[in-house]
Amino acid sequence: MTTTSIPMNAPPQTRHGSESETSPEEVLALARTLRWEIGGDFHQTLMETIYTDAARIADRAVTRPGEKPRFDLDRTIDGLVTSRRWGIPIMILMFTAVFWITITGANIPSQMLSNLLIGTIYPALQQAAAAIGMPWWLSGFLIDGMYLATAWVVSVMLPPMAIFFPLFTLLEDFGYLPRVAFNLDNIYKKSGAHGKQSLSMMMGFGCNAAGIVSTRIIDSPRERLIAILTNNFALCNGRWPTQILLATIFIGALAPVYMAGLISALAVVGIAMLGIVISFLVSGMLSRSLLKGEVSTFSLELPPFRPPRVLQTIYTSFIDRTLYVLWRAVVFAAPAGAVIWLVSNITINGTSAAQYIINVLDPIGLLFGLNGVILLAYVVAIPANEIVIPTILMLTVMTLGATNLGAGAGVMFETESNAATKAILTAGGWTVLTAISVMLFSLLHNPCSTTIYTIYKETGSKKWATVSTLLPLAMGFAVTFVVAQVWRLVFGAG
Amino acid sequence: MPDPLIALIVAGLLAGITALLFWPERGLVIRWRRSRQMNERVLAEDALKQIHKSEMRGQVATLDGVAGALQISRDHTAELLARAEENGLVSNEAGVLHLTPEGRNAALHIIRAHRLWERYLADQTGFGEAQWHGQAEILEHSLPPEEVDALAAKLGYPTHDPHGDPIPDASGQYVAHGGQPLTAIALDQPAQIVHIEDEPETIYAQLVALGLYPGMTVRLVEASSKRVRFWANGDEHVLAPILATNISVVPLPETATVVVESDSETLADLKLGERGKVSAISPRCRGAERRRFMDLGILPGTVISAEMVSAGGDPTAYRIREALIALRSEQASMIQITRRLEPAA
Repeated sequence: MTTTSIPMNAPPQTRHGSESETSPEEVLALARTLRWEIGGDFHQTLMETIYTDAARIADRAVTRPGEKPRFDLDRTIDGLVTSRRWGIPIMILMFTAVFWITITGANIPSQMLSNLLIGTIYPALQQAAAAIGMPWWLSGFLIDGMYLATAWVVSVMLPPMAIFFPLFTLLEDFGYLPRVAFNLDNIYKKSGAHGKQSLSMMMGFGCNAAGIVSTRIIDSPRERLIAILTNNFALCNGRWPTQILLATIFIGALAPVYMAGLISALAVVGIAMLGIVISFLVSGMLSRSLLKGEVSTFSLELPPFRPPRVLQTIYTSFIDRTLYVLWRAVVFAAPAGAVIWLVSNITINGTSAAQYIINVLDPIGLLFGLNGVILLAYVVAIPANEIVIPTILMLTVMTLGATNLGAGAGVMFETESNAATKAILTAGGWTVLTAISVMLFSLLHNPCSTTIYTIYKETGSKKWATVSTLLPLAMGFAVTFVVAQVWRLVFGAG
Repeated sequence: MPDPLIALIVAGLLAGITALLFWPERGLVIRWRRSRQMNERVLAEDALKQIHKSEMRGQVATLDGVAGALQISRDHTAELLARAEENGLVSNEAGVLHLTPEGRNAALHIIRAHRLWERYLADQTGFGEAQWHGQAEILEHSLPPEEVDALAAKLGYPTHDPHGDPIPDASGQYVAHGGQPLTAIALDQPAQIVHIEDEPETIYAQLVALGLYPGMTVRLVEASSKRVRFWANGDEHVLAPILATNISVVPLPETATVVVESDSETLADLKLGERGKVSAISPRCRGAERRRFMDLGILPGTVISAEMVSAGGDPTAYRIREALIALRSEQASMIQITRRLEPAA
């Protein structure tokens, strides 16, 4: 049917020549028979021959002046960083250093930014709005809602990212990160993933959106999708403060004073480790079910070590990663701030919309060891995990009707001390179980909208964006539910 | 607040029911949807295919045979065949079923679709050998003839499916592989595997697990009623005759060399610091993975040295054309090498 594409009505002059010439039909018939004789590998053999010829010509024509440079230094470094004895300890040391520098280095600029954006500019804006006679609802919407949320996200997010990403990029530029992927590949292989997923996961500890962009280094389609879908299980920069705060005021408080710091640190590290374990489990599950048919081709190039180009690296990582992620976060945080302000200030029969929603969500939340305030906070704070705690505090104060606390309806705030935060939360009905449930839920819930959007952009598929949103959410509800019920069975209602 | 124990039990039950309904491949909803896909048209097409298969094997196709192969009742089969007879696809002569020329065309169309899909699954997806046949059994019914042609064009008009079966062309013509069972060739006669039967699945899975594939050269060493022993790509295999008959081979000229033991090594056999020259990439490695190897410069004649092993023990880094590339052991074992670095001539 498809093979007979001969021009049957071709003008006669094209067919001149002797009668003894074979007719097109015969040629085609011959071609058909020959096709079977050539066999199935024909295309492949042809391609291989072309490649081989090209390689041979290149080898003959290209001369390499002088002796090859000695790889001695490279080999020594490689031998050290990939050795069975030293490879893993060196890696742990390197990453601990990166995280330590990030955490300690970010504190001061974060505080400065917060002082500037929230301590100085925010009141100035309010005064300016009052001076020009702006109605309260407009200034509330714009300044208390949109500006405050944006300022919050920027001051919490910017400094750690501005330190973490350049450090990470320097290690990458030096050539160390591919060796990490090389060392860890065997572990990742067992869950059907690529060693480079360790790197996108590390990046995810900074920011999941950046982690997902960084999965571009994985060139095998199936492994890349796995890395994208599991990146959310790396506890990001926006969630660390929540974990540290809750671990300090609720879990550390359970231990004797001299142990408190250690216990709360262990609790936070435990949550992060749980995230890593879950990312392995989910990787294995995905590679055996949903992603079974995706193409997989492993390869990993180990580039030669080279001195990192420090200034260029800092510049590009700042532009490509930090500002890129920050811009997207700002775009999503501003509307979130507006929504938070609106739900708290739109009142029906004297009760705010937020209060109505909280009342509906409360019994559902209790089932999972959470409460209505926490669920609402997680809904309105989808754009940025950074504002979850400020929103919870604001909503808790609002539902308590405590006018002497907080900064007013719809205005997010943080307290001066951990003790004050604990006092507010305990008044809002929080127990140790609530704190544990929030810590678990903070690890296992939908990614922030910036991340979801990035997943959509990177995979070009609504399906994968949906899976990556609903899968961790379902897991979060399942885990918190079981923990809450077991806790209540063991310790009685709490 | 509900009692925690009751809450746990209720949630456990709900989770159990959900799993029962939606468990991949075994859930009730999934089974129900699959059974709906097995509608009358699909069954009719499978019946034609079954009759064609019997005719090809020189067996007699009967109603019972078709009913057994399709796993449906006799009455249902009779109904199906009656309709096929009405449509002029099948003729029934005293209980023996024959395909009419139209019926044969229809059957060949399904076979063509099936084998093209197997080719597609092998070359363009990440599904493993064991899954090709089952998937193709469902996919073969999904496309009208024009789209099957489009699929053939997309795949570059392949002539054989990954098991070595010929794919009929659009007009239904094909040339059979012409192989004979492995047990039928003479001892010590070099031969090439042209086909590995993909049904029944359990036998096929065993053959795949041994690393046998069409295109391999073999040499029979022993064939008795108890066991069949042969060399294939440097490994000695021992099979029960029932397994060996599912392998079809064509004899090669006496001069053809069948690789035995020593000189059939793969990249995975190189120790650190050793060098080898690529002699071939195993035919088992296909599609995207094969292209990736070639992109990396892993071609017949390329000299590769093993440089270092990961701290985790598995990927090994090889120096390939001055670049350091890490390959996993199962990949390295797809690349056949020789330690003779100088050209043979």
